[in-house]
Amino acid sequence: MTLDAIRDKVERGERLTYDDGVTLFRHPDVVAVGLLANQVREKLHGDRAYFNRNMRIEVTNVCVASCLFCSFAKLEEGSPGAHTMKHEEAWRELEARMDDPPSEVHIVNGLHPGLPFSYYEELLRGFKRIKADIHMKCFTAVEIHFFAQHYGMTHREVLERLRTAGLDSLPGGGAEIFHPEVRTRISHDKATADEYLAVHKVAHELGIRTNATMLYGHIETFEHRVDHLLRLRALQDETRGLQAFIPLAFHPDGNGMRNLPAPTAIDALRTVAVSRLLLDNVSHLKAYWVSMTPEVAQIALRFGADDVDGTIVHETIYRAAGSRSPSGLTVESLVRLIQEAGRVPVERDTLYNVVREHPRATLPEAALKVRDRKASRHLEVVS
Amino acid sequence: MNVVNDARVRLASVGYLNARPLIEGLDREPASARFQLDCSIPAEVARRVAEDEADVALMPVAAAAAIGDLRMVRGCAIGAGGPVRSVDIVGERPIEELEEVAIDLSSRTSVVLARLVLRARRGGKEPRLVGMPPREAIRHVGGARGALVIGDAALEIEQRFPYLLDLGQAWKELTGLPFVFAAWCGRPGALTADDEAVLSRAKAAGLKRRAAIAAEHAERSGLPVASLWAYLEEAIRYDFGDEERRGLQRFYDDAAAAGLLPRAQVRFYDEDRRAPAPLPALDTLLARAADGERLSAAEGERLGAEASLFDLGLAADAVRRRKHPDGVVTYIVDRNVNYTNVCTTSCRFCAFYRPLGHAEAYVLSREELGKKLQEVVDAGGVQILLQGGLHPELRIEWYEDLFRWMKREYHLGLHALSPEEILHIARLEGLTVPAVLERLHAAGLDSVPGGGAEILVDRVRRTIAKAKCTSDEWLGVMRAAHHMGLRSSATMMYGTVDTPADRILHLLKIRELQDETGGFTAFFCWDFQHERGTRIEAGDHGTMLYLRQQALGRLMLDNVSHVGASWVTQGPEVGQVALRFGADDFGSVMFEENVVSSAGTTFCMNAQGMETRIRAAGFKATRRNVHYDWLTPPA
Repeated sequence: MTLDAIRDKVERGERLTYDDGVTLFRHPDVVAVGLLANQVREKLHGDRAYFNRNMRIEVTNVCVASCLFCSFAKLEEGSPGAHTMKHEEAWRELEARMDDPPSEVHIVNGLHPGLPFSYYEELLRGFKRIKADIHMKCFTAVEIHFFAQHYGMTHREVLERLRTAGLDSLPGGGAEIFHPEVRTRISHDKATADEYLAVHKVAHELGIRTNATMLYGHIETFEHRVDHLLRLRALQDETRGLQAFIPLAFHPDGNGMRNLPAPTAIDALRTVAVSRLLLDNVSHLKAYWVSMTPEVAQIALRFGADDVDGTIVHETIYRAAGSRSPSGLTVESLVRLIQEAGRVPVERDTLYNVVREHPRATLPEAALKVRDRKASRHLEVVS
Repeated sequence: MNVVNDARVRLASVGYLNARPLIEGLDREPASARFQLDCSIPAEVARRVAEDEADVALMPVAAAAAIGDLRMVRGCAIGAGGPVRSVDIVGERPIEELEEVAIDLSSRTSVVLARLVLRARRGGKEPRLVGMPPREAIRHVGGARGALVIGDAALEIEQRFPYLLDLGQAWKELTGLPFVFAAWCGRPGALTADDEAVLSRAKAAGLKRRAAIAAEHAERSGLPVASLWAYLEEAIRYDFGDEERRGLQRFYDDAAAAGLLPRAQVRFYDEDRRAPAPLPALDTLLARAADGERLSAAEGERLGAEASLFDLGLAADAVRRRKHPDGVVTYIVDRNVNYTNVCTTSCRFCAFYRPLGHAEAYVLSREELGKKLQEVVDAGGVQILLQGGLHPELRIEWYEDLFRWMKREYHLGLHALSPEEILHIARLEGLTVPAVLERLHAAGLDSVPGGGAEILVDRVRRTIAKAKCTSDEWLGVMRAAHHMGLRSSATMMYGTVDTPADRILHLLKIRELQDETGGFTAFFCWDFQHERGTRIEAGDHGTMLYLRQQALGRLMLDNVSHVGASWVTQGPEVGQVALRFGADDFGSVMFEENVVSSAGTTFCMNAQGMETRIRAAGFKATRRNVHYDWLTPPA
C-alpha cells in the first residue's frame, strides 16, 4: 500500500488497516505523513488547539511493580527517596494555588502495598472540600486494577466507591505497549493489556470518561505500536468513552532500559501523525509537551495533535527519567506556544468544554516576528 | 505600496552617460517639486528600491527581475536596436573560440546577456567565466582569453582588439528584437499618470540635449565628442514600446529558462491603472520553487507570508533531494574555540564580549589552546573553528604565528576569523582586505566562517551593531576570500529588528555574491538567542519560524549546495526535524569543555547522538570536512 493509496482512503473517510498503519510508520517522508494527519486534524478541529489549567500530583512513589522503563518508583517505603504524602501535604498543593486555581487535579501514583483504600477516598474528598468543582482525574487503569486485587473488589466496585468520593475521570497512563511480546518484558507484574482495557470499559459503562496512552520508543516495533492503537480503536468502537489519546515518548535516564537511545523528535511527530490517522474514532490527540519538549509539541500541532495538555505545575515522572522540559508552564506560555504554531488557543476543562477561546496570534504564523517577543528585552525596537 | 500624492517620490538612477538624457532636468523645477533624485552605481540603485529607500529607479533590468513584482514606465528605457557599442566581448581570436572570458560581475544584466548570447552561439556551451574589475579584464585579454567590457571602457577600446562581439547587435541577430538594458522600475502604485508624463517630458528634453551631454562627457573622459554623440543618438535607443517590451520579455524568459534570473513579467504602470496585475496561484509558485526555479525577492516574500509550514517544508525537501539524491546527511567533528573575548564593537545582542582590561577579559595562551586542540585531535576531529573578538592589541603577526604553530603542531583544518575580524585586522594594520587574507592564508588559514552576517541590510545592522561592518564590507571580505580560493559559509541571524522582507533581501545578497564567486559552501540560519545557553520559557523559541526560515533559505539559495540545521540554537529535537525542512547537514558535534576533559565518552555519545538522529530522520550519516567531502562511508 502506497502513501497515495492511503491518502485516497483517508480522503474517502475509509478506515485504515493494520498494514496501512505499518506502512505509515515505515514511510520515510515523515512530512508527507504529517501533512495527511494534519488534514484529518483540521477537519476535526479546524485551527483550534486545546490546553487546560491542571496540576499534577504524585502522592506516592512507592510501588510494587518493577517496570523497566520507570525512573520514578522506589520499590519500598523507607528506601532512599521513597515518599508518600500525608493528605494535608497533597491538599496543600491545591490550597497554595487557590488564588489562580486549576480546573483539574491529575493524580498518578505508584502501586503502594501498605495504604488503606480509605486513604484514596479521603484524598479525593479533601480536594473537593477545598474546591467543590475541581475535576479529579485520578488513578490509571493499572492503579484501579491494583486496588481491585489488593483490596478484594471488582473493578466496578473500586470505580463506584472512588466516584462517590469524588473521582471524575481516569488518566490514560499505564497502557505502555499492549502486545504481550513487549509487555511481559517491560512490565510483567502489573495489569495486562486485557485488564487495562477492561478497567476502561467498566469506567465507560459507568459514564466515567478516560484517556489512553502508549509508551513508545523502547524495545517495541512499529507493528507493536499499530497493534496497540488498533486495540484502543476496537475498545472505542464499543464504548465511545475515550476522550484523548496521548503518545508518550520513552525517556531512558535512570531506569532499567537506560542503555537504549531515547526516541527522537522525528519519531514523536511520526507517532502523533500515525495515531491521528489510525484512531479515527478518538476525538483528541494530545502532544504532551512534557514528553516531547514544548518546541516539538508546537510542531506536533501541525502533525495531527490538537491538544498540548496543560500547565502541569509539578511534573516529576519524566523529570526523573531525564526530560529537559520544564516542570510546568504558565497559561501565558501555553497560549503563546499555541499561537506561534499558528493555532487558536482554546482553554478547555477536562471534558473538553470550552472555557475560553483566546485570540489567534495578531500576526499569521508566517509573519510572527521574534522581535516582539525577544528583542524588546534587550533592544530598543525601531518602528 | 501607495505613495501619498503630496509626498515626493524618491527616485534613484544610475548616473552613467547613457542615462543622462533620461534624468537631466529631474532635479530642477518643476520636476523636482515632485521627485527627489539620487544617482549612484547600478547595484546601489537596485538596493535602494529593494530596501525601500527609493520608490522608483532607473535600474538594470536583471536587478528588477531579482527584486520581482516591479512595474515599469512605458516609453522610457536605455536599450539598443542593433550595435550598442558599450557592451562588447573582445578577444584576439574569434569570440566563439575563446576558452575564458573575464567579466565585470557587477553588471548583472550584461553578464546574463553575454551568457545567453555565448551559449546560443556556441551550441549551449559557455567559456569559463572569471570575474574581475573592468580595466584588469582588458589587460587579461590574450590568446584564448577574452573579456566582457562595459561602458566607457568599451567605447575606449573599440578598435583595439581584432575580434569584437557587440552584444546589442548579437541579441538583435539572435532574436530579431531590440534589447533593453535599464528602465524606470518601482513598486506597484508608486507613480501616477502625471508622474509618468513628467518622466516622459524630461526624456524629450534630455534627448534634445544629447549633443551637449556628449560634449560634457568628452571633456571629462577624453573620448572623442563625435563618437559619444553618435553613441547617444544612434546606438542607444530610449524607446520602450511594444517591440522593446517583446525584446525584454524574451530576455527574461530565456534567462529564467537558463536558471540565471527569476521568472519575470514586464508590466507597465499604466496597465495596473487599467486592471490589477494577475497574481499567480500560490501552488504554481510552490511548484516552481520545488522544481528549483530561481525566485525573486517578491516571490520569496510571498512564500514566507502565505505558504504553510508544510508547503515550505515539502518544497525545500524536494530541492534538498534533487541536490543530494543519495539521502546522506553530513556532520563535522570540529570545535569552536574563542581565542579572546575582548572586543571593541559592543554589539547589543552579544553577551560574550568583555572590554580590554575587564576582570573577565582573556586571550587564550598557547598552553590552553594546545590542550583544546589536542582534545580535538584525540577525538578524531578534523577542524578548528577559531573566532574571537576585535582585540585592539593583537597584530597580524600574532595571528600568523598562531596559525603556523597550530598547523605545525596539530594538522587540523583552520576555519578562522569572521569577516568582521579580518576587516579589523586590515584597519589595524593599514592593509587591504586581500592583503590580510593573503598573509593569513599563507600562514595556514583554510576557510572563513560566515559569522557576523546577521542581516545584510544596513538599517538592521546599524540598529543592532552600530560599530560593525556594513553589508557591503561583509560581502566584500567574502568576495576577496572566494577569489583567493578560500571557501566560506554563509549565515543569517534573524529575530532582532528585521522584517520578513529584510530576511529575503539577505538571502538575495548571498545568492548574488554566490553567482559571482561560487565560494559559499553552505547556509545556516538561527534566531537571535536572547541569553546564551538559557532557553527557559517554552514558546519563546520561534520553532515554526525557524523551520520556515530554513526552508525559505533552501528555496531562495538555488546556487548554494548545502543547508545546515542549527541544532545548537534550536535544540537537538528541532534540529532533527529541520533535516526534513531542506537541510542536508547537521552541523558540528558539540564539545563541552568541562565534560570532555573529565569524561572521554561525551564526544562519542555526541557523535553517536547526531548519527542516531540523522538515521531516525531517514537519512544516512557521514562525517565531513569544511569542503563537505565525505570522510566516512555513509551509514
